[in-house]
Amino acid sequence: MLIPHPLLGLRDAQEFTYLGDANMMARPDPTGPDAEAAFCDYVFLRDNPAGVHRELWFHEQGDRSWLVVTRNTVTHEILSAELATDVARKDA
Amino acid sequence: MSRIQGGLIDRSRKLSFTFNGKPYQGCAGDTLASALLANGVQLIGRSFKYHRPRGVFSAGSEEPNALVELSGGARQEPNTRATGIELYDGLQANSQNHIGSLSHDLLALNDLFSPFFAAGFYYKTFMWPRAFWEKLYEPAIRRAAGLGALSMLPDPDSYDRGYLHPDLLVIGGGAAGLMAALTAGRAGAQVVLADEDFMLGGRLLAEDTAIADLPGAAWAKEVTTELQSLPNVRLMTRTTVFGAYDHGIYGAVERVSDHIADPGASVRQTLWRITAKRTILATGATERHIPFENNDRPGIMLSGAMRAYANRWAVTPQAKAGDPIAIFTNNDDGHRTALALAAKGVALHGVIDTRAGAKSLGDYETFAGATITGSKGRKGLKSIRIAQAGRSEWIDCGALGVAGGWNPNVHLASHHRGRPVWDADKLTFVPDADSLPGLHIAGAAAGQGTTAEALADGARAAMAALSEIGLSAAPADIPRAGEEPTGIEAFWHVPGKGRAWVDFQNDVTVKDIKLAHQENMRPVEHLKRWTTLGMATDQGKTANVTALAVMAELTGKTIPETGTTIFRPPYTPVSLGVLGGGDSGANFRPHRLTPTHAWAESQGAVFVEVGQWMRAQWFPQPDEIHWRESVDREAKAVRDAVGVCDVTTLGKIDVQGPDAAEFLNRIYANMMGTVKPGKVRYGLMLREDGHAYDDGTCACLAEGHYVVTTTTANAGLVYQRMEFARQCLWPDLDVTLISTTDAWAQLAVAGPKSRELLSRIVDDFDMSNDAFPFMSCSELTVCGGLRARLFRISFSGELAYEIAVPARYGNALMERLIEVGQDLGVTPYGTEALGVLRIEKGHAAGNELNGQTTANMLGMQRMVSLKKDSIGAVMSRREGLIGDKRRLVGFVPVDATQPVVAGSHLITQGDPVDMEHDQGWITSACYSPHLGSAIGLGYLENGDQRFDEEVIAANPLEGVSVRLRVVSPHFIDPEGERLRD
Amino acid sequence: MTELKPITALGAVAPRVLETVRYSLRENDGVAFASLVLPADRPAPAVFGIDLPEPGKYAQGDAGKSAFWTARHQWMIEGASLAETDFAAALKAELPEGRVSEQTDGWITFDIFGTKPEAITALLERIVNLPAATLDPGCATRTSFEHMSAYFVRRSDTHLSVIGMRTLAGSLWHALETVIRRLDVDG
Repeated sequence: MLIPHPLLGLRDAQEFTYLGDANMMARPDPTGPDAEAAFCDYVFLRDNPAGVHRELWFHEQGDRSWLVVTRNTVTHEILSAELATDVARKDA
Repeated sequence: MSRIQGGLIDRSRKLSFTFNGKPYQGCAGDTLASALLANGVQLIGRSFKYHRPRGVFSAGSEEPNALVELSGGARQEPNTRATGIELYDGLQANSQNHIGSLSHDLLALNDLFSPFFAAGFYYKTFMWPRAFWEKLYEPAIRRAAGLGALSMLPDPDSYDRGYLHPDLLVIGGGAAGLMAALTAGRAGAQVVLADEDFMLGGRLLAEDTAIADLPGAAWAKEVTTELQSLPNVRLMTRTTVFGAYDHGIYGAVERVSDHIADPGASVRQTLWRITAKRTILATGATERHIPFENNDRPGIMLSGAMRAYANRWAVTPQAKAGDPIAIFTNNDDGHRTALALAAKGVALHGVIDTRAGAKSLGDYETFAGATITGSKGRKGLKSIRIAQAGRSEWIDCGALGVAGGWNPNVHLASHHRGRPVWDADKLTFVPDADSLPGLHIAGAAAGQGTTAEALADGARAAMAALSEIGLSAAPADIPRAGEEPTGIEAFWHVPGKGRAWVDFQNDVTVKDIKLAHQENMRPVEHLKRWTTLGMATDQGKTANVTALAVMAELTGKTIPETGTTIFRPPYTPVSLGVLGGGDSGANFRPHRLTPTHAWAESQGAVFVEVGQWMRAQWFPQPDEIHWRESVDREAKAVRDAVGVCDVTTLGKIDVQGPDAAEFLNRIYANMMGTVKPGKVRYGLMLREDGHAYDDGTCACLAEGHYVVTTTTANAGLVYQRMEFARQCLWPDLDVTLISTTDAWAQLAVAGPKSRELLSRIVDDFDMSNDAFPFMSCSELTVCGGLRARLFRISFSGELAYEIAVPARYGNALMERLIEVGQDLGVTPYGTEALGVLRIEKGHAAGNELNGQTTANMLGMQRMVSLKKDSIGAVMSRREGLIGDKRRLVGFVPVDATQPVVAGSHLITQGDPVDMEHDQGWITSACYSPHLGSAIGLGYLENGDQRFDEEVIAANPLEGVSVRLRVVSPHFIDPEGERLRD
Repeated sequence: MTELKPITALGAVAPRVLETVRYSLRENDGVAFASLVLPADRPAPAVFGIDLPEPGKYAQGDAGKSAFWTARHQWMIEGASLAETDFAAALKAELPEGRVSEQTDGWITFDIFGTKPEAITALLERIVNLPAATLDPGCATRTSFEHMSAYFVRRSDTHLSVIGMRTLAGSLWHALETVIRRLDVDG
């Protein structure tokens, strides 16, 4: 696969390592009333859709950036790739 | 050698080769198959199951029969297609899959017992008695099955790899591919044209079609010359594109020196990973045959192949030149072979055409509405039976060409599950134009089978592909070419009682398909598994569609209703050597060497691989025979005097920024942000699920500037997780992470005399306990001005330091420490002694931090700060984790002569040794030279309250149980006075 | 100056050199490295006369100093023949607001000179899975090569620097030498 790095252009997926569901970025509030239950969901439960999926890739052999890649898991079509930092700031 | 006129071989360059030890001669430009045919060799191999005699069936990579073993000692390669092997001087080939000689194969007996080997026989025959399976059936099947053999020697060849990124990849160098490459090449696009043959031209080389008033082969040569002159076009012959992958990535193997007897320093093959913006699939088509009784004899081949041998290689496939040839066809293309042979003066019986209205296209006889219903000739075709109008007649025949229509080579287009669609007019599957993003299909591969169609389609595809990527090409001037006749009427197999082969390689007959139908194995996927149709090296290239048609006939459905046949990579077999590529042996994978590696080598150190690292395991002295002697000596030297160990492998991460302290607090379970400049703190990292992950130290070099160390094994992963936390979880913290593991050589200097030793190399630095107490750090200079970092930390439990200098000086620093510390008894120690020392001290390491352990179990529950959030903090308080009563404790054998074995399970005395009574396990064990007995660390239920109790360490694997006494995990200095001294 | 004698990344007193028909491969132990990170909210200033380069790029400055982009807001600053100096301190002095990490011995430079630009292009095809334009002169990028991570800096059409982790120097040299010797044979 080729991943469209927002700064470096198309790069081969061999340069990246895969983490999984981008929901890993949505770390629960540790002080919330149901923090433990929220963390259990966060740590153990993932969606695994056949279709469009937002996922985290680490550009390990490149600039060491984490990317949020939106990918169709059926066709492997990549719809977008953003720097995770930018996504995290936007969501914050 | 017997040749007819013409051909593209170089008759002046004779090449010598052997087949089954017998010497023959061929010409430059021959394949092994054409050279064997030129020498009248019809019998080339034995079929897989029935060991039927087989000859050349095709002229390309679809070959199911003529598989040979290429010899050459360690280079021996089985199952290579004689039809694809470029002849070279000195080639040695052997037939395979027979016991005894090729002509008297003992396993030919199988053919007589063929009723027992019908479809599904594997599943039916070997079910009982059960005990026979391992001892009898499997070994016998394994001996009989499989085709060629490996040399069992290491591969002497080297392989290379490479990467190409063209605008346009053209796969196939026939009429369509050449026209596409020419159109794109002239437009200035970066073009790669790959073809598996050693000459470009594809089918043009096998035909007598004229293009622009030139013979097709001559036109191909002219185009090749122009393409070679274009700097933006790269022609890759002998290159098979074997697989299509995501996003325009294709895998290709270039056979760099397979056609050279002695490759010298050259690599054998190169694996190319081609990332193309657009791709044109111009892979042509493969001919089908028409099954009839005993249609598998040597001398029977595809009609198009027969034409190729005549036109390109000037050979015909009879055993005796001059024996007449016949053609069996359901379409016009069969007649083209008759025309080509007639033009070269080859004796012809004529064309047996299944179509009632068939007519001759030239000066030869045509049997309209006729079929072939049998053949004779055990090791080569002797005669055929022609049936026409209810009568049948045997006639002598030296060779038979069979023409059943052409199947586009859709393989690569279906690698991503692209399903070909049935074209009822052409009676063939054509690829779906949208089967793969970025792929354009042209020429015969798209069902555009005439030369004129292929040329136009190649040019069209190139223009379409380029326009998609913003390049424009001038409309190509399409050269004039003939429109070959393409009439065809469906005729899939000749009905009859005898065996009619559909898949030659796997010995699957029409009967087997009938049996599969009868047993309800009707979907194509089931048909394949039940009959083995389409398996093995040819993957059914000449069989699948015909089999589908036979099944359709049996089910009364149409062919598209019955199913489609799609393919997986690779298109043709790829050697594992080229996929593995790169280096083997010592250079199989990269090695990281520590800065003191050269010195350690000079000391005769024994090295151990730790991940990528090569670390000194121990330093044997001349009088030491057993490794334990060396390790005991080194460990004792640390306890009694001073030792030096290279610990550069520990990960080092530079952490800077105004929010660095807050960031560290969130990364570590314990309070880390409060560590002051000049101080070091031990830290524990948890996983977000609450389990212990990694431990290390954090040194504060200056306000907002820290150096974090990780374990050797987790260095990369911890860095990655820290970047995850920084970028994905807390992007608003202003902090920077830089990995600096390699920049600094770090040496542990440990033992009661370590201060004395180090004081001899530091420049003007107060080493006293007051000035530089336990858990201090400082930047300083050593050895006359060399910048260094000094940390007072201890893994061994002794007074100890770690000193870091720029890596290039690590080796010299080690030498210097050994030199100036001779009177102190300074001793280098390796990882084994390091392990002994940390077990004696009760320090957790990888064995203890195995991903299933908690801070509680490590006795570090208080390190998980309640005053702040950190990764894993919430989950570490889960009931299941907090309630875990296993604790890290120490063990000594009750009988001091007994060993402690890591991995042993702990059982309370008197309890049965089973999983229900499992109380924990031994994580680490060693011989402690300090205590004079074996010792161990391990997790034990309520272990911290069971000191002095005796438990059983059960090792059922070796049938051994040892009684151990539970003790504190700190075998050395439990109060921690030595390291603070 | 310390009395200790350094060794090169390949473990010798003098840097290793390989000369073949089409290539020259040279261990360059003299380059000082320091990584520089600048706060995100300010435009990057020039340092040592270098206009800090954009992603994927390399730029030269005064007196053998140069820089290549390594990550967002992050660069590797190089000082030719300055490996024996405290280059990180010099950089910090030049740019006090920058975050500087000493990297001199974290990395080792292998300079490859081709007799012609095509020699470098041919080499790149064998060692990096990147389109040629990614490593045109003036470009620099990090990628993997033979299971190792390295920076590739195209300093001119005939000069490529491969900058790898120092502890991997031996494996990196071996891999480069293998490719270079093969290209001499197979072209």
